[in-house]
Amino acid sequence: MEILLIGLLLLTGLMLGVLGSYLFRVPRVVGYIFAGILFAPDFLGGPLGVDTTEWTRSIVAVMLGIIAYLIGGAATITQLRQLGWTIVTATLGKITGSFVAVLVGFSLFGLAVADVPGWHLALLLAAIATTTAPAAIVAIIHQYRARGPLTTALLGMVVLDDALALVIFSLVLAGIDSTGFTAAIPVIIWEIVAAVGFGIGGGYVIERTARYLPEQELKLVMLLGGIILLTGLAEAIHFSPLLTAMTLGFSTRFFGGAHSEPFFRPLEQLQEVVFVLFFTLAGLHFAPAVVFSHAGLIIFYFLLRAGGQIVGAMIGAKLAGAPRVISHNVGLIMLPQGGVAIGMALMLTSVPRLGDSALLIVNIVTATTLLTETFGAVATRFGLERAGELGQATETAERKKTT
Amino acid sequence: MKASEWLKIHPVKALTIAGESSLQEAARMLLDDPEGRDLFVLDAAGRVSGHLGFWHVATLLLGELRPTHSLREMVERITLGNVAEHMDDRVMCVGVDEDIDDILHKHDLFQQHVERRVEDIPVVDGQHRLLGVVRLSDLLRDAINKAVD
Repeated sequence: MEILLIGLLLLTGLMLGVLGSYLFRVPRVVGYIFAGILFAPDFLGGPLGVDTTEWTRSIVAVMLGIIAYLIGGAATITQLRQLGWTIVTATLGKITGSFVAVLVGFSLFGLAVADVPGWHLALLLAAIATTTAPAAIVAIIHQYRARGPLTTALLGMVVLDDALALVIFSLVLAGIDSTGFTAAIPVIIWEIVAAVGFGIGGGYVIERTARYLPEQELKLVMLLGGIILLTGLAEAIHFSPLLTAMTLGFSTRFFGGAHSEPFFRPLEQLQEVVFVLFFTLAGLHFAPAVVFSHAGLIIFYFLLRAGGQIVGAMIGAKLAGAPRVISHNVGLIMLPQGGVAIGMALMLTSVPRLGDSALLIVNIVTATTLLTETFGAVATRFGLERAGELGQATETAERKKTT
Repeated sequence: MKASEWLKIHPVKALTIAGESSLQEAARMLLDDPEGRDLFVLDAAGRVSGHLGFWHVATLLLGELRPTHSLREMVERITLGNVAEHMDDRVMCVGVDEDIDDILHKHDLFQQHVERRVEDIPVVDGQHRLLGVVRLSDLLRDAINKAVD
């Protein structure tokens, strides 16, 4: 029945996403999440014979592995050097700001769930808060033909941002799995060393083997096989699957050089499928009772994340001597939170230690994703407009108004 | 027919560029020759060190007009770099003594075309120096004429 449900989720998600975007001008993810809610065990999932969501764990692990691989392979060393200090410091500021704000806020006034220390949940939510949804931002940049220093900084930042967010999330996950601070240090070191080692080794093997596989189809088999194998290995001998997949992407790009295209393009085409699955699966876990009983916390998380990243990015950009147009807008325009955050939250459902609190995190992240995708898009447009970087589309619209 | 003889019958101007050149310079060179779709990057000794196609240059320079961007494309859009950073450094070359009929058979040109959109096939001497190019359109024309005969 699970296979039937996956098919239904993908197609219903697609239909509701496209219709919602066309008829009500809401981001497609809203439709995706509603499709998931529709098939939750309490609604249509029950009659279909799907009473639990445990079967989704393996799918989420592999899908998040694919996303981490693409994030790792997004930039080469040469490109990273060209990004410039403004982008680096603004990203670090934005990430630190959102992480610290959510961590401190939730540690002081946050939630408490039986059997799970409050600071665990605060750390996990803080790590998830550092992510951004590039798709929503790029859609606005394209729609309004934005260009200028802020747009350039933004494009670089969303790439760095998700990479750093994955690193932070992996380390937090490793840390909370340990019994104490002293026990956590060797665990974290092992997680990093093993992930980097297996990732680099895997990338080298993939690139070398691909030279003997001229057909693109065979390369794709090898790539997916490599990502799934390493994700499974990471689970079996306890190192970070996300860091491994990210290092795999980075090293494959490094070893492939100018021939990297076939190692990424096919998976990039799968990305929307992955995100539809993430959002619909998040919808499956969606529990209205949990959301309504924690409405205050959801708004609290939204405000802390937004405030932290706006202030953090401003400080970071100012430290690099960025012009006001960047420092005063960059945190605001990066409000949308999306697939990576949802994927991380879903991944927590397979951490036995977290128990029911994982479900609570999924619901907080899903609800705030709905908020940030809707209001975040408005904030992105506002920030770009304030910076004077909205281009021809706006001019055309204004010309139409005057004629 | 050997590649060297083919070059005499079908003389085609090979477009060459240095690796340090900008992508805008590469685009200008391609636009100045309407039939040219492939640029070959030469090192100081005149050896072929890379290839850059029209499609690749166009997608890089017009990247901001794309409706969707992968993360890689976002980074590419803001860090354009020079020709050497984008060229394909594993160029399929034909030896001057190779038989022209073997080119399509021996090298998987069509797979290359799908991946890298190569239309000019460089002919090189023993030191890998560029002597000329065999154009795919000439090969096609020749094949059609042979079939008619």
